[in-house]
Amino acid sequence: MKTYLKLNNDVLNRYNTTGQLELEKDREATRRYFLEYVNVRLRYFIDIEEKIRYLVEEGYYEKEFIELYDLEFIKHLYKKAYDYNFRFPSFMSASKFYDSYAMKSRDGEEILEKYEDRIVIIALYLAQGDTDLAERAVEAMMEAYQPATPTALNSGKKARGELVSCFKLSMDDSMNSIAENIGYCLELSRLGGGVGVNLTDLRPLGDPIKGILNRASGVIPVAKLLENSFSYSNQLGQRNGSGVVYLNIFHADIENFISSKKPNADDKIRLATLSTGIILPSIFFDLMKKDKDIVLFSPYDIHREYGKRMSEISISEMYYELLDNPRIRKIKRLNARKLYTEVKKAQFESGYPFEIFDDNVNEVHPLKNIGRVAMSNLCTEILQLQQKSIITDQDEPNEYGLDVSCNLGSIDIHEASKVEDFGRLVDTAMRLLTNVSQMTHIKNVPSVAKANRLMHSVGLGVMNLHGHLVTQGIMYGSKESVDFIDGFMEALNYYSLKSSMEIAKERGETFYQFDKSEYANGNYFESYINKEEKEFRPESIRALGNVPIITSAMWKELAEDVKKYGLFHSYRLAVAPTGSISYIRSCTASISPCTERVEVRDYADSRTIYPMPYLTNDNAHLYVEAYDVNAYDLIDLYAAAQKHVDQGISMTLYVTDAWTTEQLAKIYIYAWMRGIKSVYYVRQRLQTLEECVACQI
Amino acid sequence: MSNLIYEAVNWNKPTSELAQIFWDQQWKQIWFPEEIAVSKDVKQWQNFEHQETYKKVFAGLTLLDTVQTNIGMNQIATYATDLQEKAVFTVFGAFEAIHAKSYSYIFTTLCTNSEIDELFEWVKKNEYLQYKANKIGDIYNAIEEGNQESLWKAMFSSVMLESLLFYSGFFYPLYLGGQGILRNSAEVISLILRDESIHGVAVGFFAQNLFKQFSNEKQDELKVWGYELLLDLYQNEMSYTDDVYAETGLSPDVKAYVRYNANKALMNVGFDAMFPEEEVNPIVMNGIRNEGSTYDFFSQKGSSYAKAKMAPITDDTFDFKNRI
Repeated sequence: MKTYLKLNNDVLNRYNTTGQLELEKDREATRRYFLEYVNVRLRYFIDIEEKIRYLVEEGYYEKEFIELYDLEFIKHLYKKAYDYNFRFPSFMSASKFYDSYAMKSRDGEEILEKYEDRIVIIALYLAQGDTDLAERAVEAMMEAYQPATPTALNSGKKARGELVSCFKLSMDDSMNSIAENIGYCLELSRLGGGVGVNLTDLRPLGDPIKGILNRASGVIPVAKLLENSFSYSNQLGQRNGSGVVYLNIFHADIENFISSKKPNADDKIRLATLSTGIILPSIFFDLMKKDKDIVLFSPYDIHREYGKRMSEISISEMYYELLDNPRIRKIKRLNARKLYTEVKKAQFESGYPFEIFDDNVNEVHPLKNIGRVAMSNLCTEILQLQQKSIITDQDEPNEYGLDVSCNLGSIDIHEASKVEDFGRLVDTAMRLLTNVSQMTHIKNVPSVAKANRLMHSVGLGVMNLHGHLVTQGIMYGSKESVDFIDGFMEALNYYSLKSSMEIAKERGETFYQFDKSEYANGNYFESYINKEEKEFRPESIRALGNVPIITSAMWKELAEDVKKYGLFHSYRLAVAPTGSISYIRSCTASISPCTERVEVRDYADSRTIYPMPYLTNDNAHLYVEAYDVNAYDLIDLYAAAQKHVDQGISMTLYVTDAWTTEQLAKIYIYAWMRGIKSVYYVRQRLQTLEECVACQI
Repeated sequence: MSNLIYEAVNWNKPTSELAQIFWDQQWKQIWFPEEIAVSKDVKQWQNFEHQETYKKVFAGLTLLDTVQTNIGMNQIATYATDLQEKAVFTVFGAFEAIHAKSYSYIFTTLCTNSEIDELFEWVKKNEYLQYKANKIGDIYNAIEEGNQESLWKAMFSSVMLESLLFYSGFFYPLYLGGQGILRNSAEVISLILRDESIHGVAVGFFAQNLFKQFSNEKQDELKVWGYELLLDLYQNEMSYTDDVYAETGLSPDVKAYVRYNANKALMNVGFDAMFPEEEVNPIVMNGIRNEGSTYDFFSQKGSSYAKAKMAPITDDTFDFKNRI
């Protein structure tokens, strides 16, 4: 038996039986893991020169990016990384890194990279010959920045997948578009991506085709086609592809859509592996509050009558107009409260659908004059506008619109509060993300390639909030914690804008149609410039550490610079759920509370026990588990962060099986009232977290 | 035609404490072996060193679940007096049938037909297996109409079977699965274990209620009977363990685990533990978590199946006066 596994398992067993943590067992497990597993497999190289030469010659590393630097610099960078004296803080972090991220020989027997080696290669690869950026990248990654899994895993490798893995596609109401998008899904799934597809614009079941009524099959069969495509395109059988489909709650197929995830649904309509999400305009909540019926519409009528697709209009603004227009069919009337109760029921039984609060997203959307945000991605943190592609017959050229690919990275809040120059850290992260975006070209999905070229969107997020709060003696969900995240995210927003402005200035280039954005006309900055300087609680100030508090004067100056130089990125911030990457860094996930003080993760090869970072017998009471956090406090915390994030935050809600559908409805309504943009899963106790499949290995 | 008065089971009035809860809990965790991709273990299986032990462990478990389906739960359901409890035992019996079938599912996936035939022959010939099946089967078959003592004895035996005898078998897949070996078969076992632990608790609970009705002298007499039966089964289990686990060197670990579960079985029927506490292999202990940590993202089944508690949305749902 592997003694390190036994030692690691003992941590949980002792904790369960005695309530006492014996972290030395985990440390001993890590030590034994190196002795018994890592060290014996690690390939020995005489020096760095020999290491690089071997890995390039044997076809493990690409040689092009290595050749951009001279050897002395590369050696210097390795030394820099190794001088941090990095040690894996937990068995989980070490085993996760060596199992999934480190370069191994083709037969899997030899380990070819240590942690520092991977960091240096990511830095050299992403810096693209810019030695200054490469140095900064090593600093940032050794200290507080972590690129998302696809980037961290694939950078520099010769046989590699894509650097990005998150996509959004928009389907149009035509067979050409359906077929084309299924092709895109196969392609993106092959590349290991998770794909979101918006079905809102498809005509519902029973709608006319070529004027003949009762011919259309509706959205569910299309969803089934997508599900089958994702399972077919399965990474050489390594894992199933993954996708999510979105539908507006006013779409006539909504009832079938909601029940499609129930485990007891008919197999013909049951979506077993595809995730679902619904789009909720504010008018839905208004009608529900008044206990009114809602009317379901067909996008076919809307398009014919107004020349716009259902996803391109604001249902909240147009609802009564649609009701009054005799040429718009009122396909069905449903009591809003009953419908929403059905949604809650489905969420209890399956965790789905996700919810996107349409108006909360679009009212504060900085690019609202350019287009609407109609949907989200697999983890509900990406919220970007799209433009429909016109897919024509084969004898005519297609007109490509804009779809979305997103590359993500996260800042470790705890480490970030300790770095000397927070602004520089954010700037480095933004530059690395920018390069990932520039290096990505998804040639088989032209709408994605086009948007990437024009929009330069990235998604910088954060992790380890709960871990940091514990080190500061602050309770998750308390006023101090809300204060802290408010200040932290404002600073992140400020410095990411500053960085984007600097990059635009250096390159003399902004994102497409910057001049029409709320950034250009200054509206975006108004609330920041006019804000009252807030009194931070002393605990929150201490927790911010070196992260500066941003004043309205600073905002004023930045607004002027942005007006003058523009911004390079159409979208900058998005807080992902962070699975594997937070394990490697021994962080808590995203800004969510921990689910268990001592967590159990099952990976392909074994069960791993992960005591939360910085957890000791003395601070265990601060590690309140997600199910014990007041749901309203949790929402307040997310709302405070959301104000400063141009895209979304992946927010999971935690309930126990004692909750009713009404209680669940109430917290969603509260989230909507507080300006939350999206809700990811609902989890019940006794269920463990799974992570974004697109980011999993 | 006989002139009996048949009574209908009335779930509107609780006639048995907790019957509803056990019923709900059992149905909540319904599962089928086909949901678990045991075929993913095939590659590892081909190079697995102790195939013989593994197969025998599973064959032994199959026999116990067969006895429990065909005789145990059936007999107890027949003679239990409360109609709701009868219904609960019948449902338990259905799950035992799923368990017995799920071992076959694993065999079919991993073994050849002739290997499987050999195994079922081995079951018939193994003295220790036959001893425990006979011992318990006899007690089940000895229940008499109106004889509460015989019913209690059957319930006691049922708890011994489900909370103790299974575990010498469960040990191996849990031990291996925790180390990443034959993980999917281990997943099947952990689902079975999740059911057996309700059965042990439920039957034990009903047995305790029955026990309270006996006179003090009777209780003392039954206690002696119970501990004697346990010791008898325990001795047999030690020999069985030596026999089956001989090549693996795991016997001492398995035995410790059996003693740990013997204590739990005794507690389920309201008796004092009899073995001193000792350390059980932590990997195996962590395998008994009932939370279902290998939640299957794709099938949306497994342990996540939960029924929603419905309640209508009202005007109060929109009232956040206390909050804002």
